[in-house]
Amino acid sequence: MTLEDIIKETKTYYCLECGKCSSLCPISRHNPSYSPRLMLEKALTGFEGDLINDQELFSCLTCYNCSLKCPADVDYPLFMQKVRTLAFAQGRYGVPADSGILQSFMRLMLNPAIEQRRLEWLSDEYRISEKGNILFFVGCAPYFEFAFEDFEAGALNIAKDSLKILNTLGIEPMVLADEKCCGHDLLWTGDVESFRKLAEHNARIIKESGAKKIIFSCPEGYRTFKFDYPHYVDLDCELQHITEFLAENMGKGMLDFKEVKKKVTYQDPCRLGRHLGVYEQPRKLIEAIPGIELIEMEHTRDESICCGTSAWTNCDAYSKQIRTERLLEAKATGAEMLITACPKCQIHFRCAMVSKGEEKGPDVEMDVMDIVNLVASALEDNGSE
Amino acid sequence: MNNSVLIIGGGIAGIQAAIDSANMGFQVCLVEKSPSIGGRMAQLDKTFPTNDCAMCILAPKMIEAGQHANIKLLTYSEVLSVEGEVGKFKAKIKKKARSVDEEKCTGCGICIEKCPWKADSEFDAGMGKRKAIYVPFPQAIPNVPVIDREHCAYFLKGKCRACERFCEAGAINYDQEDEIIEVEAKAIILATGFDLYDPTPLREYGYGRIQNVITAMEYERLSSASGPTAGELKRPSDGKIVSDIAFIQCVGSRDVRSNRYCSSVCCMYGTKEAILAYEHRPGTKSTIFYIDLRAVGKRFQEYIQRAEDEYNITYIRGRPGNIELNRRNQNPTIWYEDTTTGETKSLEVELAILCQALIPPRDIQKTASILSIELDEYGFVKTPDGLSHPVDTTRAGILACGCVHSPKDIPDSVVQASAAAARAAEILSGGT
Repeated sequence: MTLEDIIKETKTYYCLECGKCSSLCPISRHNPSYSPRLMLEKALTGFEGDLINDQELFSCLTCYNCSLKCPADVDYPLFMQKVRTLAFAQGRYGVPADSGILQSFMRLMLNPAIEQRRLEWLSDEYRISEKGNILFFVGCAPYFEFAFEDFEAGALNIAKDSLKILNTLGIEPMVLADEKCCGHDLLWTGDVESFRKLAEHNARIIKESGAKKIIFSCPEGYRTFKFDYPHYVDLDCELQHITEFLAENMGKGMLDFKEVKKKVTYQDPCRLGRHLGVYEQPRKLIEAIPGIELIEMEHTRDESICCGTSAWTNCDAYSKQIRTERLLEAKATGAEMLITACPKCQIHFRCAMVSKGEEKGPDVEMDVMDIVNLVASALEDNGSE
Repeated sequence: MNNSVLIIGGGIAGIQAAIDSANMGFQVCLVEKSPSIGGRMAQLDKTFPTNDCAMCILAPKMIEAGQHANIKLLTYSEVLSVEGEVGKFKAKIKKKARSVDEEKCTGCGICIEKCPWKADSEFDAGMGKRKAIYVPFPQAIPNVPVIDREHCAYFLKGKCRACERFCEAGAINYDQEDEIIEVEAKAIILATGFDLYDPTPLREYGYGRIQNVITAMEYERLSSASGPTAGELKRPSDGKIVSDIAFIQCVGSRDVRSNRYCSSVCCMYGTKEAILAYEHRPGTKSTIFYIDLRAVGKRFQEYIQRAEDEYNITYIRGRPGNIELNRRNQNPTIWYEDTTTGETKSLEVELAILCQALIPPRDIQKTASILSIELDEYGFVKTPDGLSHPVDTTRAGILACGCVHSPKDIPDSVVQASAAAARAAEILSGGT
């Protein structure tokens, strides 16, 4: 794919150079040297080298705040994804978060000689099936647990509670031991060849499993299967985020919640919200729990602010500023707890609370929990009654 | 009634076409759906690029149309159907009940004074109130009030009749009914103007949520001496007189999410409104956010230059991303990229004005189906031969002028109205 193809595919030709993207961009508001409009202008004026070597090429959060409001309907995040592919082919990948260890895990999964112990956490407590129609896609949660030792990542608990909830509903899903990373982060870093291999592997084993429906607790996996896999592999399954699945079942009177007395606020993850348009189901679930009061933040739904890092392409001082501001906004609601629906949002917010360095910033301490954990806690003990 | 030209729409374009046709000796029937002719121009305080008082130019034309022996005015009236063809159109027009006898009314206004019931004033773009019996504005033609039956207590609850009690002329008639009038015409000129884009769907700009974010038409009424604040630029949240304001261009235009077309007049009317702010309160600072400053008319560029040199107006190239509310002082904060430097910044002002696009009249589909004419992809009237017959619609004998054809300024509307009148004269004289 050439830069010209990318310009065509993402409708960059229609750009009015009005700067609405930049003024909505959470990065541009903190980082004076980053302007999405200028990135597009570099492409349009033919300075491909400048674009590929731009030190800000990996700054974009691909959060879709810009594109959703773009008067010319330019798909800027897709433009970034594709241009990063050109850059990666020339050996450029920016300064990934945590020195790239997470992307390394993902590439290690490509090696067939390395055997994963991916389901070691799965105890007898959880009921799964060998065969069936429904598959639960675990995602990289077990790896996150290991990568973020210095604070509680909590990602694995999301996977565990997801199974617990499904079991409560009488569903014993399949879980695949040789499942691999969906490839989301590698795709958005420009490593499209590794992405393709992961996609092919997952598509093959899922087809072999005979699954008809895949449930995700991670919005990134869901997005990747829904929008990106169709360009690379042939996989015909119904896809759902667990909040969509639960909201659907709640309507059938299948969930019996006990009271949880708490004021909470909700962070729309970029992938689940702006990418996939799932805004209502998580709110419906939260509000169905008796005793819970949901207070919206100033920026909410499609105007929600990103947690500050995506695909771990980049995590710098600006990322930290963004998530600090977001946490302050969450605290300003008076809520005791911030609920999100993406394991990475949770990790990033918890990370922001771990004091690093001498300088002490504003107090951003706050409970952060995934919606799956909240739902599971509201279901506890109810099964035996 | 055997009129030769039927003109639909009594704004500046319709009025001009009517006067021209009438002065050429043709009989004209001018139909206007609101209680008075005058249209949008009557709502404007001043006009660009000369800062002339809009009403001072419009009122003499309104009077001329109102008094012309060859012009029959049908206000508060709507065209229901049109049959026939060029040279022999027959139109049915509904003359809505005013509940006031036009022959008896002397226009003294006591009924309005005594009426205890209020509604939002359409003329003041909802910024002020009017009575349930009202004339839209002081210079209205005809100067005969109407009773708005949806807000009149007598019509709603059967009680009140205050206007009737005080009317010495005995002109109030609650039992008046809609009348159907048949009109014959050899040609029809459509001049129903435009509506204004409602910026509520562009939630990022906070219209309807942030009190001190208003539309350009609302601002126009605030700045007008005949408006709800008698020309004082008092902002909605606290009535504070503002001295630091900003205008945002292309709200509802040049945007695939609303309208793709350029609304053509907003750069100029925004500039005019900023100049007015300074004239009302010297020293006032205005910032105008634009994408491409379109100053293409005669003396328009000079107008922009004067705005910068003499009226403390700053132009910033950049379409703002969103407007946030400063809860402490109710000021809107505008986020934008200054595209000349590439920096993303914010600007806090006391009042933000959204320069809303001109859109086709909201009832244009109905009008088009009554007249059996085609519309373009945006809903404006289609004129297929734009070069040699620029005011001809898709149906012979039906012509269009003014903003119903496309967004344009007052001088262009007047020119096009004269063109439509001339074209109608050609048809009336036996040409095609």
